[in-house]
Amino acid sequence: MAVAETDLTPARPRSPATWTPYLLILPTLIFLGLFFVYPMVQAVWLAVSDPQSGGLTWAHFRRMGADLYFAPAVRYTLLITALAVPLQVMLGLAIALLVNTRFLGHSAFLYLTALPIGISDLAAGLIWLSIFTERGYLNAVLQRLGLVEVPLIFLSVERPDWMLGAIVITEVWRATAIVMVILLAGLQLIPRDYAETASVFGAGRWQTLRHVILPLLRPSLQTALIIRTILAFQLFATVVTLAGRQIPVLAGEAYFWYSLYRSPHVASAYAVLILLFSGSITWLYLRFLRAEEGRA
Amino acid sequence: MRIVRALALVFVLTLVGTPGAGLSAPAQEIVFTSNQFTPVEEQEWARNTLLAGFTRETGITVRFITENEGPYVDRLLAEARAGRGTIDVTGTLHGIFPVFLANNALRDMAEVQRQLDARRDRTFFRDFLAAAKMDGFTAFIPWMQATYLIVAHKDALRYFPGGRNPMAMTYDDLLQWGENIRQATGQRRVGFPVGPRGLYGRFLHGYIYPSFTGAQVRRFRSPEAVEMWRYLRRLWGVTHPSSFTYEFMSEPLLRGEVLVGWDHVARIVPALRQRPDDFVVLPSPAGPRGRSFISVIVGLSIPRTAPSPDLGVRLIEYLTRPATQVLTLQGVGFFPVSPEAGRTVPSGALKVMADGVTAQSGAPDARTALLPVGLGARTGEFVPIYVDTFTRIAVRGEEIQRVLNEQAAKLEELYRATNAPCAPPDPPQRPCKPD
Repeated sequence: MAVAETDLTPARPRSPATWTPYLLILPTLIFLGLFFVYPMVQAVWLAVSDPQSGGLTWAHFRRMGADLYFAPAVRYTLLITALAVPLQVMLGLAIALLVNTRFLGHSAFLYLTALPIGISDLAAGLIWLSIFTERGYLNAVLQRLGLVEVPLIFLSVERPDWMLGAIVITEVWRATAIVMVILLAGLQLIPRDYAETASVFGAGRWQTLRHVILPLLRPSLQTALIIRTILAFQLFATVVTLAGRQIPVLAGEAYFWYSLYRSPHVASAYAVLILLFSGSITWLYLRFLRAEEGRA
Repeated sequence: MRIVRALALVFVLTLVGTPGAGLSAPAQEIVFTSNQFTPVEEQEWARNTLLAGFTRETGITVRFITENEGPYVDRLLAEARAGRGTIDVTGTLHGIFPVFLANNALRDMAEVQRQLDARRDRTFFRDFLAAAKMDGFTAFIPWMQATYLIVAHKDALRYFPGGRNPMAMTYDDLLQWGENIRQATGQRRVGFPVGPRGLYGRFLHGYIYPSFTGAQVRRFRSPEAVEMWRYLRRLWGVTHPSSFTYEFMSEPLLRGEVLVGWDHVARIVPALRQRPDDFVVLPSPAGPRGRSFISVIVGLSIPRTAPSPDLGVRLIEYLTRPATQVLTLQGVGFFPVSPEAGRTVPSGALKVMADGVTAQSGAPDARTALLPVGLGARTGEFVPIYVDTFTRIAVRGEEIQRVLNEQAAKLEELYRATNAPCAPPDPPQRPCKPD
């Protein structure tokens, strides 16, 4: 009897305990399945299926590759990502460290720098268009200061580098805040004792940052990098607003193929390409930063 | 006392009667879909002004759904395939009707047209009635029309080539004008809507191509076309270098970045509304083969699966009334399709615009180009072929003849695959083929 009781007692409370976590993540799983996995599978299927025969085909990828804007779109997407993301991370880190010192008025400063999070990318594009256009605010300021006589044309097809600069500045303005928020959250998780201990051992500010704070901040940095890089591959509205199709990007081409040419198949091919890029970069980050962690 | 009692009776009867009346005649509602009036302000205007007038008069409420071309077409076709619909009236571009006809989605509007003709309070321009007839089937009732014009700052007129008439401008005049402005101001002040959502493609296939070659498609890679592309390169040299960001020319015109711009009437009306005294509207230029311009025709039709076709006919009657057409012109800048409405001279900005439209369509060398029809699901590929040609030749500086040969092959494939005919001014060859 006693044996039977001991056999039964652990089983009874375990049953709800083992199911609870699964029940709790079930809504999330359903949500992800419905709104992420299903459309993703559908997009992949659209990209590789022939609308007439229903069989598999590479025709949509070939059409994508043969398009006038394909090569520049790949080039510019990678270029903008490579320019904007490191700037965003450095700037975001600087602001997060600054806010973390809790100087007087730091919360007002935090709200101000976090403001662009609430602004859509299209609105951000329009804001910066009103700055960079020939009769925009930037030229007005330059003229008022007497630095230029006639307004400069920043957004000109003859100067793709200037246009690229304008896009990177807009992107940095728009998306640094999200990096900053992630890093600030990470910084606030690091107990103050570490920095204090470092200073007891005679470490300067720079040494503390390099040898104590940054290694502890690595998980947050990793998250910020992954989120920003993936979002950079989806970059679209700001670029189209500032540079039209003269600076093509992958997400923009997916949109144009869907809405302008009405070809969901080629649009999906672009989407699959973006997925592959994002997937491989994320994998690289995870792998690269994990190896670093092992060595640290 | 008797009066008081009578009043009380009337009062009670009114109280009892009003909801009773409401119940005996249930509120009628119809669904009206369109791919026009998609900008938010235009939607608001359509609901609160245009369709509210109809509801006030008839008690029929109209649920107005406006979407971009893709979802709009898909919705109507899906209802046709399901055999059961919600849409009572639909209004769209002349070029989209063949898609609906091919799917047997519309009623023949011949009977509705006869009813409207019998009213004798409106007629329709004959060209538009002809365009509505597709293989002996009356696909739509003409609703409104639009075109594209040049709008210029009055200050810029002093740079117009001496001894020439802006109202009878040629492409040479336009280039010279741009060059004169550049020499005088050091700036490139001619503008085109080359942005991704801009309508510059229409300028290429419907304006400059037929003006130089006499055709939109047939003479795509002809020697005249090569000549035209050489001209366009020079014109691009006096065009504002930010043109590829422009989608509505009213904005750069109002900012003063552009002094001479070309665009769709609806996209220049905001500039004329804000500052009617600052701008003039001029006809599009003429080339060696005439003054070609696109006439955009928008028509109304009733789907085969409409739940309340009779109410739909009443809405069509209301929308095509001359007074409603003038209201539409004032609200969104689409021009009437009836001479009766056209004779009501608008004032201010619309007067400026109407003068430009008249000068363009009434010019002795006028040549009307219609949008391509019959390309079906691949309609969206037509314009990008022209815009890509422009990007390669004028922006990237590739060799003209080689680009034209390659792009002509794409045009040919598109027409062969869809077996579509050429659109005017090309002869009605099927499938259309660049020579």
